[in-house]
Amino acid sequence: MLIEADRDRCEGHGLCADVAPEVYELDDDAVVVVLHQAVPPELERKAEAGARVCPVAALRVVT
Amino acid sequence: MQNVVVVGGSIAALTAVEMLRMEEFAGQITMLSAEDVPPYTRVPLSKGVLAGTESVDDIVLGPMADEIDLRLNTPATALDIDRQLVHTSTGPVPYDGLVIATGGRARRLGRPDQEERVLRSHGDCELLRDDLAAASSVLIIGGGFLGMEIASTCRELGKDVTVVDLAPPLDRLLGAVVGKYVRSTATEAGVRIVVTDGGVRLLGAPAPSGVELVDGTRLEADLVVSAVGDVPNVEWLIGSGVQLSGGVVVDAHCRVTSNIVACGDVTVMATGDGELTRAPHWTNAVDQARAAVGALLHGDPARPYKPSEYCWTEQFGLDVKMVGALDPQGEPVVLDGSLDEGDALLAWPDASAPRTVIAVNHHTPPAKLKRLLRRPATART
Repeated sequence: MLIEADRDRCEGHGLCADVAPEVYELDDDAVVVVLHQAVPPELERKAEAGARVCPVAALRVVT
Repeated sequence: MQNVVVVGGSIAALTAVEMLRMEEFAGQITMLSAEDVPPYTRVPLSKGVLAGTESVDDIVLGPMADEIDLRLNTPATALDIDRQLVHTSTGPVPYDGLVIATGGRARRLGRPDQEERVLRSHGDCELLRDDLAAASSVLIIGGGFLGMEIASTCRELGKDVTVVDLAPPLDRLLGAVVGKYVRSTATEAGVRIVVTDGGVRLLGAPAPSGVELVDGTRLEADLVVSAVGDVPNVEWLIGSGVQLSGGVVVDAHCRVTSNIVACGDVTVMATGDGELTRAPHWTNAVDQARAAVGALLHGDPARPYKPSEYCWTEQFGLDVKMVGALDPQGEPVVLDGSLDEGDALLAWPDASAPRTVIAVNHHTPPAKLKRLLRRPATART
């Protein structure tokens, strides 16, 4: 599983990091960083949940 | 519990589904949505989607996991608690765990024969966008976040824009200092703001042509939009035994009964002083869905709902992020930047124990803003 983050869309609300801190972080400019190039299987559901709470739909789950 | 039915199709319902999956719930998950498109974010509806620069594909929050039985165009029509059935337009759906997340719909001011435009769902947005294309002037009733965001997009599209409200727009949310700053930015961008002492009366039908104020003044425009809050979708629960009082009444774990929970804009919850209140914001829908699913699966030991008290707005080139109590009073302490320069981090009532922090065009992660609420902040001198 891959997560595509659209850093231009990201507005830095941080809900992804709140739901799935193992997968997402905000950098100092409040832009999302995906911590895993390929999401490890044990974190897949968390990664999906984090992606789907994004209020600006900046995160896409690619399987 | 083997079979959870989630009634709703927006962020509270979607978060509930995702939390069930995160909690390794092994049973069947069915999602009943009244809408004709998969779960999407409503946030861009007042911005890019209204402006026509984004489509529904850009705002969909899916794709949903394969194992979820997502049924679109399937509004719930009644709930039978004794038989554990949700009645829908296409027949009854049994459950042993139920999540009520039917949200709300836009409140309207017009008579039944008057069809003012509103903005809540994607369908509302399509109608408004199409009418906007043919209009040169727009009157927006209500100057909250939504009304002012619509005003901002309408100005971008070159429309003549008037906003009318009972109080200076945004003060009730952002407080007088930041409210005034955003209003002055809106006014500079060409928005006319009218504050009236009483209610407005919609004129004309079926498409309203304007409003009349209490003093008899008439404001007219090609297009009239009401942005005056929302009404919880609870009609399907009337007579079911679910306690309703301006929304579905839930406890501190977002529970209705031991196997029925509710989350998002459809709920009301008792605050510290016992008063039932709604908190119809994105982050609250997410926070409540997390608590609700925890309570559904684990009961009392689950972590109760704790609001993150975060909201935001984007309008007229301003990015405003706010944590803590709404409507901060008095002058803020400036932690960084300055409002005059258009980039500021502000705290109320003081820097040692802020109850509200607002960042204006200041790129700070909300988690950092929230930490300022808990820890004494130091003003930069």
